[in-house]
Parts: sequence; C-alpha cells; structure tokens
Amino acid sequence: MSNVYSPTDPRFAHLGPEKFRLRQTDAVLLDAKFETKPIGFFRDAAMRFAKSKISIVALIAISIIGFMAIVGPYMTPYGYNDQNLDYINLPPKIPALARFGIFQGTRVLQNRRVDALSDTSRYPEGSIIRIDNRRVMGGVELCDVTVDYYRYMGIDDDVYFLFGTDYLGRDLWTRVWRGTRVSLIIAIVSVICNVSIGLVYGSIAGYYGGSIDMTMMRITEIIDAMPDVVVVTLFILYFGSGLISIILALAVKNWIGTARMIRGQFYRFKNHEYVLAARTLGANDARLMFRHILPNSIGPIITRAMIAIPSAIFTESFLAYIGLGIRAPESSIGVLLSEGQKVLLYYPEQTFFPAVIISILMIGFNLLSNGLRDAFDPTQRGTE
Amino acid sequence: MVITLFIIITIGFMVIRLMPGSMYADDADMTAAQMEILRAKYHLDKPIPVQYGIFLRDLVLKGDWGTSIKMYIGVPVFDVLKMKIPVSMYNNLFSLLISLPIGVLLGIIAAVRKNSIVDYTTSFMVVIFISVPSFIFATLLQYYAAFRSGWFPIIYEASATGFAKLHSLTLPIIALSLGPIARVTRYLRAELAETINSDFMLLARTKGLTEAQAILRHGIRNSLVPLANVVIPMFTHIMSGSMVIERIFSIPGMGGLMVSSINNTDYPLTLAVLIFYSVVSLVTVLVVDLAYGVIDPRIRIGGRHIE
Repeated sequence: MSNVYSPTDPRFAHLGPEKFRLRQTDAVLLDAKFETKPIGFFRDAAMRFAKSKISIVALIAISIIGFMAIVGPYMTPYGYNDQNLDYINLPPKIPALARFGIFQGTRVLQNRRVDALSDTSRYPEGSIIRIDNRRVMGGVELCDVTVDYYRYMGIDDDVYFLFGTDYLGRDLWTRVWRGTRVSLIIAIVSVICNVSIGLVYGSIAGYYGGSIDMTMMRITEIIDAMPDVVVVTLFILYFGSGLISIILALAVKNWIGTARMIRGQFYRFKNHEYVLAARTLGANDARLMFRHILPNSIGPIITRAMIAIPSAIFTESFLAYIGLGIRAPESSIGVLLSEGQKVLLYYPEQTFFPAVIISILMIGFNLLSNGLRDAFDPTQRGTE
Repeated sequence: MVITLFIIITIGFMVIRLMPGSMYADDADMTAAQMEILRAKYHLDKPIPVQYGIFLRDLVLKGDWGTSIKMYIGVPVFDVLKMKIPVSMYNNLFSLLISLPIGVLLGIIAAVRKNSIVDYTTSFMVVIFISVPSFIFATLLQYYAAFRSGWFPIIYEASATGFAKLHSLTLPIIALSLGPIARVTRYLRAELAETINSDFMLLARTKGLTEAQAILRHGIRNSLVPLANVVIPMFTHIMSGSMVIERIFSIPGMGGLMVSSINNTDYPLTLAVLIFYSVVSLVTVLVVDLAYGVIDPRIRIGGRHIE
C-alpha cells in the first residue's frame, strides 16, 4: 500500500479536498498558447523592407515603369514602327499638361525673316506664339519665333504625340515604352540565366569542396580575367545581335559572381549539425544541396539578382550605343538613346525621355537592392 | 596570367576565324584569281590551326600583329594601335587619376562627418552617380555645358595640343569620372567609418595625435587595402564606358576602332583591339596585386591574398 494521497482512499477520509490549497493559483501561465502568429523569414524581411521609405519609393517607381512597359505601347493608335513622313521630329505635346505651359508642342525657330512671318503659307494662322530677339543682320530683319509646331507643320489639332516623334515620324511614346519593355526583358531574363547557372555551379563547388571546388574555381578565375567588353563582343560577333544572343552574352560572365557567393554560403552552412542530421536520415546529395543548404542563401540571391538587373540594362544600352546591340527598327532604351544622340543638338527632347527612364530604372533598382539587402540581412546594413 | 592571355588570344582568334563568311565575301568587284592571291597572302587558304600557328609565331617571334586588311589597307595593325592607344589611354588614365583623390577626399569627409548634412548630401550624390550611366551624363554635359553655354567644344578637337586639347577633353573626362568618384567615395566611407571606431584609432588619439593626424596616418592606410579591390573593376568600367563616351564626343580612340573594325570585317584589327583590352585589364590586376604589398606591408607576394 503506497502512501500517496488519493481522495478516495479511506485512510485519508479526514483530509477532504477543501483542506488542500494550490500553491500557485495566482501564477498565470503565459505561454500556454502563442497569441501572435509566428513570423517567418520572408515576413520578417518584408516588415524590415517596409520600414525603409526610400526602398518603397523605388519599388513604386519601378512598378510604374514596369506597368507602363506592358500597357504603354497600346495606349496610342501608332505602332512602334509606323513611319509617317508628314510627322517628322515633332516636339512632345501632352494635352493634359499643356495648360501648365509645358509640353505644348511648341518649338523655337531661330533666325527667321520678319517679313516672312505674315506669309500664311509658311506660318499657318495661329501658329505663331511669340516673337523675340528682333535684330537686323546684313540689312535683313531677323527674329526668333516660338511656334506651335503642330500648326506650323499643318497638322490637325486633335493629332498629338505625347513624347513627340523621331526622324522617321515614329511615335516616341510607343517606342519608348516598347524599348523599356525590351530592355527589361533582356535584363530580367539574363539575370535569371545568370542566377540559375551560378546557383548550380556554386552549389556543386561549395558542397563537394576539395579538388572539384579547386578545379571549378580555377575555371571561373580564367573566365573572370577576360574583360567584359571582349567577352560580350566576341559572343555577339559569333552569334549575331539578336535578343537571345544579347541575353546570353550578358550571362556569360555575370554568373561567376553568383557562383562565388553561393559557394561561400555553402562553406558556411554545410558543416552545420542539421545537415549532418539530414544526411544521417538518408538524404542524398542533391536533396542536401538544394533542400537543406541552399535555402539559407535565398536572401543574398535575391539581392544579387536585383543588383545585376541595372548592370544588365546598362550593358544592353551600352551595346546599342556602340552598334552591337539591338538593331533598328526594334526599339530598346539603348537604341533610342543612340538615335536621340544623333539629333541631340537640334531635338534634345528625343533623348530626354529615354534618358529619364533609364536613370529612374537604374537608381530605382540600386536603391531597391540596398533595401532588400538590409531587409534580408540586417547585420550588413551600411556596408558595401 | 600568361595562360589566361593565351586562352583569350586563342578563343578570340578561333571565334573570329570561324565566323560565317569570308573576309572578302562582300567585295563583288574582285575576280576569283585576285581573291585567291589575297587569301594566300594573308594565309586565309590554310586550315585554321595552321593559320593560328602562323599568327602566334609572328606575334611571339617577330612582334608582328598582322596587317590591317580593310580599314587601313596595308598598314601594320601595330601602327594603327600606336596611333589610337594614346588617345584612349589619355582619357582613361586621366579620369582614373582625378577620380581616385576626389573620391578618397569625399569618402573621408563623409566618414568623419558621419550622419551630418554633408554625409547625406554625399550619399545622395553617390547613389545618383553610381546608378546613372556615364553616357547619360556625357549627353547632358554635351548639351548644356558645350552646346547651350559654349564653355567647352562640342566634340573633341583632334588637332589641338597642350591646354586646348585638355580643354576639349574636359567634358569626356568629367563624364567618365563621375561614376568612379562615387564608387570610391561609397567604399571609403563605409571602410573608414568602421575603422574610426576601432581600438587602434583610440590608441592613436590617446597617444596625443589630433583627429586629423590619426585619420591620415592610421585610418586611411587601413582602408586603402580593400579599396585596391575596387580599382580593378573600376578601371575596366572606365574603359568600357569610354567606348561610348568616345563615340559621343567623336574621339578617335580604341572604342571607335573596335566597332568600325567589326563593322568593316577587318579581323586582324578586331583581334588586336580585343587583345589590347585583355592585356590592359590583366596588367591592372597585376598592378593592384603588387600595390597591396606597398600599401600594407603585412601582405607580400607569395602570401595569401585578402579577399
């Protein structure tokens, strides 16, 4: 017979339950169940990301440009390669903004003869807006005329080109957004290629280590020693300057950085106990690599991809500039910039819009990648 | 390094020779016999490995880079390069030389006055200058500083010498330098801000150095080592950037040479330009490796690199 108390035991009949008192009735069990939801890795990162206002602004700017790149070309009745020789080099005219005095479709014509101003065959009615700078040179009275260029060219009032037109009368609004789309596609697809290659290569080198790692890293060092210009040029020389070959040319060297980063991550994590545990449970190499070790690197991978996008956009427009990139009539930001460059001194507005868009994209992606890096890895904040 | 160069030359040669079409395919006014003679003259009738052997033999033993066959007919490639390289290098080195000290200076100021208005302004400029491509700045400068205001020539004046030459190269050099300046500034600011808080900096001030002395003698020296890592990609960046800048400002340099040699299918010239770019970037790597030893005596050749 044990001496353990039990209320039904007749020996303890004189000790009713009311004689007992719980020692800790006032203690509240706080962690009985979690009141809040657990915060996962991405949620955590997203919360930190949302705190950084500048990253949010960058994200919004990029989203707007991305959205316009998708729908922009369909917003006007003109195709990206519709040429109309009546509408050459028109200035931008945005009816919604015209009343604020910008983008009215005006242009200053310099050194015009004053006596020709009343000639309605040259200056149609209502086309002259302002006359300045009257002067006499060589017995002829000259002046600078600000004209409504659309009326001056005899174009109907309801015809307008939001960003103007180029030297073949193509609508620049359509071309700019189509170019943005092409540039973004090139950048994103090439970054996907380079991350995929770098991921697999770096995983294998980092996981197996030893002589495999050694050989694979030597190979990357040799490829890395070749200057970008040379690699990209040779690649495009050989495969031609189509969309695909530019995408691949951009990936030829860029995967190396990703591969090194992944390899470093593998060296950091592959000797952890949880990997050993998974291996003991019979996980094979591929499962260990891609299911257990690689997910640790998801933050750096995303950050790296974001850094690679602006550099891909840069290289694409760089190639178009030196004549190795996308060829006309297809449009890309680089093509537009280099076409605008040719007429910069006469029609600077043709360079203005692509330049603004590429600048916003580049700044936006740089800020976004900074924000993402801080969000995924707060210990890296402020370092480069 | 020699091995890398050899591989680059080999790949370059093979790619260029294996390109579809002959170098003379588009010269319709040439008879078959003439074409045969030309092909024999430039060894184009032999198998590609043999061509490659001949090319290497001439290059290594005689220093003969071959002859330009389309653009500068009959002129040795080496002479063409000799004409173009100084123009490009003048630009690139100049922009490297001005961007390093300016970047270092701005980086120090931003690090010392951390979290002040100066620091924020610098950081803001740095983001803009790093992000926006150099050719956008070149275009802006060309339009506003050259065309609208007339302070500088719109395009490069090839005949100018001395100060006038520098004057006409000012805008290209500025456009090339903005990015590198921002890069150096950002890097040095991050490095120095960390170094300033370390123990040996406290010691340096405890032993009686002023803040300026401590930073100049102890802080910067430590921050320069990782900076050397930035210089290599920076210089190759300047070089590729200068190809576009040369085009915008009509500077007759290597960038233009490469593009026109490709478009004119002048392959010996293309190959030589590509080899030139490879050599320059390899030499940059070497120089930076050697500079480690000077900047930081703890690292000597033969030891492990700090990565």
